[in-house]
Amino acid sequence: MALKKHGAKFDIFTKIAIVAVIAIISLLIVVPVLSILFESTKPSGTNVFKSVLSNPVIRQTIKNTVWLGISVGFIGTLVGFILAYIQVRVNFRGKKLLHILTLVPLVSPPFAFATAVIVLFGRSGIISHDLLGKTPMLYGYPGLVIVLGASYFPVAYLNLVGMMRSLDPAIDEAASSLGANKFRIFRTVTLPLLIPGITSSFLLLFVEAIADLANPLVIGGDYMVLSSRAYIAINGEYDVSAGAAYSAILLLPALLVFIVQRYWSQKKSVVSVTGKPTGQIAPIKSKIGKIPLLVFGWSVALFIVLIYVSVLLGAFIKILGVNNTFTLDHYRYIFSGIANNALKSTVFMASIATPLAGFMGMVMAWLIIRKLKRGADALDFFGMLGIAVPGTVLGIGYAVTFNEPLKIAGHTVIPQLAGGGAIFGGALAIMMVYTIRSSPAGQRSGIAALQQIDPSLDEASASLGASGGRTFRKVSLPLIKGAYLTGLMFAFARSMTTLSPVLFIATPETPILTQKILAESDSGRYGPAFALCTLLIVIVLIVMGIITAAVRGRGSTEFKTTLVAG
Amino acid sequence: MTSGRLELKGLVKEFGKGQEIVRAVDDLSLVIEPGEFVTFLGPSGCGKTTTLRMIAGFETPTKGAILLDGSDVTSLTPDKRPMGMVFQSYALFPHMTVAENISYGLKVQKLGDAEIQRRVSDVLAAMSLDNLANRAPNQLSGGQQQRVALARAMVVEPKVLLFDEPLSNLDAKLRGQMRAEIRSIQQRLGITSIFVTHDQDEAMSVSDRIVVMKNAIVQQVGSPTDIYRHPNSVFVADFIGRSNFLEVTDVKSSAAGTADVTALGKSFSVPAHDGAKSGNALLLVRPESITVSRQPIPGKISGEGKVKTVIYYGEHVEYTITTSTGEIVATTSDPGSDEILAVGENASFSFEANRAWLLPKA
Repeated sequence: MALKKHGAKFDIFTKIAIVAVIAIISLLIVVPVLSILFESTKPSGTNVFKSVLSNPVIRQTIKNTVWLGISVGFIGTLVGFILAYIQVRVNFRGKKLLHILTLVPLVSPPFAFATAVIVLFGRSGIISHDLLGKTPMLYGYPGLVIVLGASYFPVAYLNLVGMMRSLDPAIDEAASSLGANKFRIFRTVTLPLLIPGITSSFLLLFVEAIADLANPLVIGGDYMVLSSRAYIAINGEYDVSAGAAYSAILLLPALLVFIVQRYWSQKKSVVSVTGKPTGQIAPIKSKIGKIPLLVFGWSVALFIVLIYVSVLLGAFIKILGVNNTFTLDHYRYIFSGIANNALKSTVFMASIATPLAGFMGMVMAWLIIRKLKRGADALDFFGMLGIAVPGTVLGIGYAVTFNEPLKIAGHTVIPQLAGGGAIFGGALAIMMVYTIRSSPAGQRSGIAALQQIDPSLDEASASLGASGGRTFRKVSLPLIKGAYLTGLMFAFARSMTTLSPVLFIATPETPILTQKILAESDSGRYGPAFALCTLLIVIVLIVMGIITAAVRGRGSTEFKTTLVAG
Repeated sequence: MTSGRLELKGLVKEFGKGQEIVRAVDDLSLVIEPGEFVTFLGPSGCGKTTTLRMIAGFETPTKGAILLDGSDVTSLTPDKRPMGMVFQSYALFPHMTVAENISYGLKVQKLGDAEIQRRVSDVLAAMSLDNLANRAPNQLSGGQQQRVALARAMVVEPKVLLFDEPLSNLDAKLRGQMRAEIRSIQQRLGITSIFVTHDQDEAMSVSDRIVVMKNAIVQQVGSPTDIYRHPNSVFVADFIGRSNFLEVTDVKSSAAGTADVTALGKSFSVPAHDGAKSGNALLLVRPESITVSRQPIPGKISGEGKVKTVIYYGEHVEYTITTSTGEIVATTSDPGSDEILAVGENASFSFEANRAWLLPKA
């Protein structure tokens, strides 16, 4: 049994919290992942493993996956790095605007990108076909790299902006006063100091790229990757064991990267040794450096704007590029049928799962930072699994685990939670997925917030006779409320836009918006797909606006800290 | 090493644009002689750091020029100026070892490996850092980091060493040691040094000359003794050390550097600032120049009051005396226990006229 941070035994509240958290994590993530491993050892699963060496098709799939991950990791990190560098080191008008445009892809369904790219640059794309008269090789590898790179580079950007800002400007100045010119400083000081950030961005993007399912389905063409292969195995070939085997292969690099990441971040970066940073980093003044950087930055922003404008326009135009007349047909179409139920059930489930995920994340953070000593690392690790395990793998895990009632010695312990015929039409499983996918965000922001709060506040509360529960409610929780709400915001956005895990467990009774968008764009009805995307983005933005307003009311500094930390 | 004479000519630095221009440094001119140790002292926001950063090349002056050994360096970037800088945050390269940090500037100069090695080990020895050569900066204590920062700046043999509040992150004891060390190294090598601090003790103990600044403007330039004994304004007197200001009447200029005044009901002659002789003046008496006793001391200028507080520090006693014209602070060194007055007792305070200093009131 782990010990409390300062020696004494756990009170009852802490004990209950620990037990509850362990039970929830086991049910929501550990069991599904283990089920996959178990399922993959069945004959058609082991066949997949055996043929990894012999079957060239499977080998090619694995190669494709790794190559896609590397390409997206490299390009996304490079673009993110350049934009971060512009943001931190160049002074120009519209800096804030560029920052916001860079972040836009984070809050939208990723395949909104894919769909828009197809409409603009695809076989009969507006730009590729109508303007340039070419038929580009968009489907497959190039399209995937463009779309995934554009969707995920903001992750690298955020990561690197934070890191670049935390560099002490005096370090640059010291190099300069020792005679080093700008380029030498960049090469020998700035870049080496950012290596941890660059590597971690690369790894994050690598995992996001190989875990993604929606884009390979929409734009992947015949470029087969593990996630789409697993999807086909399950939804096309009805071979769950083979699907489980593919996801087990996918799980390996994802977990590996996750573990490496943790190891690094715990080693504590070398950045900022002592003292307070003084002054600001001297901005780049020379035109030779500034102009190409700015041209690049605004081109990226323009591309993003182009994509989203076509999503917004596409929703109001008959057939974008073909019949450019204004119409409300797409909205009429989606509201007459597919959208209503999907909208209702998605918002409903996300609204239930989000606070749960937020609360769970906060309790986790509190236990990890304040209560547990020896078990803290392990708890943090398992708590983050929800985001470390690729969505495709999670979805398949849920399908494997919860599509049948769990029986022990003939008694039903857990009823069927997922799939057709499950209780609540499978909604429970979807909410579980939402919760476990979103709680890591709450956990991270909670930990960041708690680390900034003096533990003696907790001790003061305890010494005044408050129980653990009271201390959590009256002291810790109010102090980390800002972080909590910000965590909630990202959790909600994530729930609303998540697709890959849901694809495997959505049922006709509980339609999901993202799944409907995929269905529409898969069958070439881009107008309704755009209308649904717009709808989704609007809902997410409204909720973000509400939460931001709520947090602002509680003091904007807290909010800023958590935004940076989150 | 060749000289290192620094000339600041009418330096002005403005920040901001349009309506919101802030002048951080206003028309600063100063000549710093080779080998001299000059400290810029002043409260935060007075422009001292901006001045240092202009000398280093991190800020470009709005007006004015900076000359090093006669040649204009105003438009040179920092890497082209033969100056070394020690930063408040030390700014050690966290991804390099101590030895790599120190050799960084030598590598930039493209010196041979043997030469680099020799100079690095020389400076490591001189700074007693030999056994830390392969440590990472975050494995060092604050004082050791400070030494590395100094070694790194010195090893390139700059003509001018610049210090930006380098001791403010150290505890009091280390700070004392480090400033003695900095001073002794500087004197041994004879490098022109410019030091920025808001700590008057630091400034007093290391400098050949002190430049006191306030609100972007130089208030006074002089040796530590000069600044302490003969401040040219109430601000300087108050900023350096503690002060009692007595009201005076009937100011008359007498012999060179002195004036006749009337204070505490007596007329006497005191050393005086030229600007104070015209009349509108105050008499500065430092607390340590005042003796507190039960009876007035013959031959000294004295006044009467009541003891308000007594604080016993061991090496000295500090009194606050309430008088008809305000409060007087006095410190008495090495007092015998029967000589210490109690709170509420009537007290005389006395000082010698030649220990006082007449300075302009505004």
